Amino acid sequence: MKRKTFVTLSLVPAIGILASLALVSVAGAVWFALMNRTLRSSDYEFVGAYNFLRLLRDKRFFNALEISAIWEVVTVTGTLVLAVLLAVLIYETVKKPLWRNLICFAFLVPVLLPRVAAAFIWRFLYSPSLGLINYLCGLVGIGPVEFLADPSLALISVAIVDIWQWGLFFTVILLKLMETLPRDPIEAAMLDNARTWEIHAYVTLPMLKAPIISLALVKAVESLRSFDLIFVMTGGGPGTATETLDLYAYQMGINMGGRISYASAMSILLLIVTTVVFTIIWKAGKKWAA
Amino acid sequence: MANISCTDIVKSYGAYPVIEGMNLSIPDHEFVVFLGPSGCGKSTMLRMVAGLEDVTGGRIEIGGTDVTDLPPGERGVAMVFQSYALYPHMSVADNITFGLRRQGIPKSEIAPRLEQVAEMLGLAPYLDRRPKNLSGGQQQRVAMARAMIKTPKVFLFDEPLSNLDAKLREKLRTEIRKMHLQLKTTTIFVTHDQLEAMTIADRIVLMRDGKIEQMGTPDEIFERPASRFVADFIGTPAMNFLHATMEEGHVARAGGIAITLDPEAFPSLKPGQKVELGLRPASMDLCEPGVENAVTGTVVLVENMGAEGQVITEVEGEEMSFVTQRFRRLSQNDTVHFAIRRDKVHVFDPNTGQSLRGV
Repeated sequence: MKRKTFVTLSLVPAIGILASLALVSVAGAVWFALMNRTLRSSDYEFVGAYNFLRLLRDKRFFNALEISAIWEVVTVTGTLVLAVLLAVLIYETVKKPLWRNLICFAFLVPVLLPRVAAAFIWRFLYSPSLGLINYLCGLVGIGPVEFLADPSLALISVAIVDIWQWGLFFTVILLKLMETLPRDPIEAAMLDNARTWEIHAYVTLPMLKAPIISLALVKAVESLRSFDLIFVMTGGGPGTATETLDLYAYQMGINMGGRISYASAMSILLLIVTTVVFTIIWKAGKKWAA
Repeated sequence: MANISCTDIVKSYGAYPVIEGMNLSIPDHEFVVFLGPSGCGKSTMLRMVAGLEDVTGGRIEIGGTDVTDLPPGERGVAMVFQSYALYPHMSVADNITFGLRRQGIPKSEIAPRLEQVAEMLGLAPYLDRRPKNLSGGQQQRVAMARAMIKTPKVFLFDEPLSNLDAKLREKLRTEIRKMHLQLKTTTIFVTHDQLEAMTIADRIVLMRDGKIEQMGTPDEIFERPASRFVADFIGTPAMNFLHATMEEGHVARAGGIAITLDPEAFPSLKPGQKVELGLRPASMDLCEPGVENAVTGTVVLVENMGAEGQVITEVEGEEMSFVTQRFRRLSQNDTVHFAIRRDKVHVFDPNTGQSLRGV
């Protein structure tokens, strides 16, 4: 009984803060979504599901939904693939602890950078006239390439920045996880004629399946919050080529339209979609990892 | 199947030598046990034969081929680890066949081999399970199956029974021995358990501080230990040691204790020479007072071991123990007489620890 009281008392403040911050704002958003408020006028009235129904006919909304989905898939898989490849490469080639630690330290720097700083650095790197990357491209006779202004390249160019920040960070995590694995199964695989890549494909990485799935989920949640990166680098452009849902909601609600209610409806929809999708992925991932 | 030959093996970690110039030759079909206390280099030696450790110097040959610089997978060896080292995410069947699949052997050939090995080790009902759903003994059988299915030239066992309880250890020990009688594959088995070594080995290589202390059949090691260290390491209960001085008539005297030695076994002993006697508790028994080599002591403790008992006595301020079946009528503070046959006494040089046995 005493223990239960303690647990309750410990949880109440955190849950209280969470409830007041999350629930109040969600309730506010729902309230706004059912009105037709705009920043332009102080008059508003109850319109029911009007905003939601309009969303279903909004092509730009579906474009944003698609961009968001592509963004999620590209950044999550990109981050994990980069992390796995680099971690295995370092695990196999760098044996001295000192060098490994130095590499890990260097790999942690990008994720420590504020998003906005990283975004500005890469904007300069990508710049067609001043950028280092275009300079290098010029040396081999390509370019100048409009990385951020070309609609077919812009999204992937921004995604590369995200993968650079998080992929290197996850490399460090994966490398440290690999170092904690027992040596014996790896040695058994060596005796079983497995080549280096086979050892990792069939033994070490499957042993790390559960943490890798967790990392994927963490990254998926993190990728949803890439507003600042995209906003600074492209602002959603060119056109709507990099306009994810949160950017579109921002454009609608605050920047151009001031249609708060419409943007609120969009964010409510986003909340529902992500909750449902993530619950499904989480369940599937847990089943798969077991 | 193959013989193994190790020539001038040196292994050091940095400046710290672990194995210094070891020479060892293991004939085909032999079951050899590397025995020794922790840190004596026995596991390192095994891992060098497996190819999991580089040698600092020397040559290892398996079946006449120099394998010193070959990767582990190409040496034709199979190893069973203390931790079993199973692949946790694979089924038992996948664990066992992993090596064959890596060699690109067709499925049609793998299936009957799997069936045969699983049958032999009683694993047939568990093939679909994951290792974590098996008991320790079953897991170790899977590890053995994984080694056997490859039909290697050499089996290597690295303390495979250490993680099992006593009863299971005994059972698997017998199974490993039977398996060897059937397959006749050259085997190296590492253990720190002298009883395990005695029961399972054709030949024991007793190691200490990276060197071979003695090499021989279990009988040789037990009956004719080459040094005090070997004598102390082998046999339970542990041997009694007694500092003594030689007198006329091949008698070693330690205070009131006089032990007559076999002049044929120890021809070189001179009167006045300092020696250390080794008396196995199991070679001594109760006797009438006054018989040859009788020792008189006071009972300190009687340890019941079932069929027999170990009696720990105090003899002139030193503890000595012996083993007898008639221990039940003894109690604390009784005065007892016990004796050893002269041909069962071991004599060592007190300085070098080497046995003074002639021939």
